[in-house]
Amino acid sequence: MRGQTPSRVHLDRVLAADPAGALLWGMVALMGYFAAIGGIVLVLLSDDIGEWDRALGHSLTVQIPAEASAVRVETSLALLRQTAGIRAVRLLEAAETARLLEPWLGPPAAITTLPVPRLVDVQIDPDAAIDFADLRQKLSSIVPGAEIDDHREWRDTSRSAESRVASLLEVAIAAIAGLLVVFAVYLTRGRLAVQGETIELLHQIGAADADVAWPFQADALRRGLLGGGIGAAAALVSLVAVVGILPRHATTASSGFTDWRLWGVAIAVTLAAGLVAITVARITVLRRLALMP
Amino acid sequence: MVRLDNIGKSYGAGADVLHDISLTLEAGDFCCVTGASGAGKTTLLNIVALAEQPSYGRLTLFGADALAADRDTRAALRRRIGIVFQDLRLLAHLGIRDNIALPLRIAGIPEDKIRDHVDELATWLGIASQLESSPQTLSAGERQRVAIARAIVSRPDLLIADEPTAGRDDETALSLLRAFERLHSLGTTVLIATDNIALARRLECRHFHLEEGWLTSLDTAAIQ
Repeated sequence: MRGQTPSRVHLDRVLAADPAGALLWGMVALMGYFAAIGGIVLVLLSDDIGEWDRALGHSLTVQIPAEASAVRVETSLALLRQTAGIRAVRLLEAAETARLLEPWLGPPAAITTLPVPRLVDVQIDPDAAIDFADLRQKLSSIVPGAEIDDHREWRDTSRSAESRVASLLEVAIAAIAGLLVVFAVYLTRGRLAVQGETIELLHQIGAADADVAWPFQADALRRGLLGGGIGAAAALVSLVAVVGILPRHATTASSGFTDWRLWGVAIAVTLAAGLVAITVARITVLRRLALMP
Repeated sequence: MVRLDNIGKSYGAGADVLHDISLTLEAGDFCCVTGASGAGKTTLLNIVALAEQPSYGRLTLFGADALAADRDTRAALRRRIGIVFQDLRLLAHLGIRDNIALPLRIAGIPEDKIRDHVDELATWLGIASQLESSPQTLSAGERQRVAIARAIVSRPDLLIADEPTAGRDDETALSLLRAFERLHSLGTTVLIATDNIALARRLECRHFHLEEGWLTSLDTAAIQ
């Protein structure tokens, strides 16, 4: 009875049940959980930093020395209002300034005894090219000692911190992926050892390498997707729960399950886990078969 | 059908297990390779069955250069060979039906045809009542018949049996060899290795004799 060189031979039922199979998806679920946590944190962190950056990019603060006269203050405000690119100018009341400085200087009553500079909140057009050097010079000519804080230092610091944290998370995700590869290799090898007799027999009586490898690939894909999906879903639930118990303004991530990007991370982790598992299984089995003549 | 040209085999730096073997099997041949234990019979059969690579020489199977063929072609060549292994190699986690059906599944035969064919063959070999059993529950003789059934279920062009009579009394061994004779009479080319020279001489077959890896005695028809 001549076989017709089938496109796909199903040898799944020929292989013995694998007691270690549950270990694969359990470990993949754990790794998927941490990888998804990392991915979701990356997205949320990027959101928060971006939001702060945008907010800070829309404003700057002008400090006018406490001893400046009311006329000079008004002149300074007029200068600011006339400067192209500046949308709004607001002189903070003393009480408002005191409230802002309370964490550092104590109760508002104590602040009234100190020469606290007057603060001006300036809203700017982020796309406008304001000549800050020229503005500083003009302000200094009106009120010597007046300063403009365009938050550049803070923005640079926060961008740098975000970059470092993002790099760390990327390294962690890569390490998890590496661990998954190593784990999948050892598990597939273990399974090959258990199925060694069957594989040798299949090879000897004419099974093509791809047909022998396929049940291992299919099983690894199934378990990889299952484990990755469970881990990613658990990570999503964890993150949304954590965001839910944080103070309202602690993070910009308030959209939770409705944020498609978080679902994107979860789906990407699931697919990546399946892809890694099936690829590792295929390569490991084919390398083993290549040792047979 | 099978042609060996100056085939030799050694393992590592050790002495040759086979020396310069040349022989030809034609379609419809029934051949016995005899020789003492360690003479190289299993190695020779393994090379013909593509289970081992020779160290040198040329092997032609069904018209193809088997040693130069790619892996898929070698797999296709193996599917044309039925093997009764010396240790039978029945898979303990499968039932008898699935053990016998293995070559058909590998060949991609539809399940309904597999069932019919396995039933028919099992009836012919007297193991039909055992089809749903597991190999561990069978006697040694029944297991051997299962191994033969698996080897011939796909109607191979070449049937190879390595020491099928090992551990059998003469009467059982002869009846087994007669079974191979019947298969041969149905048109299958058969190649058997046995160390029971006396028994082999009772069969109407071409005889080859191996001694320490040398083909020392054979009928003239097989010489190139």
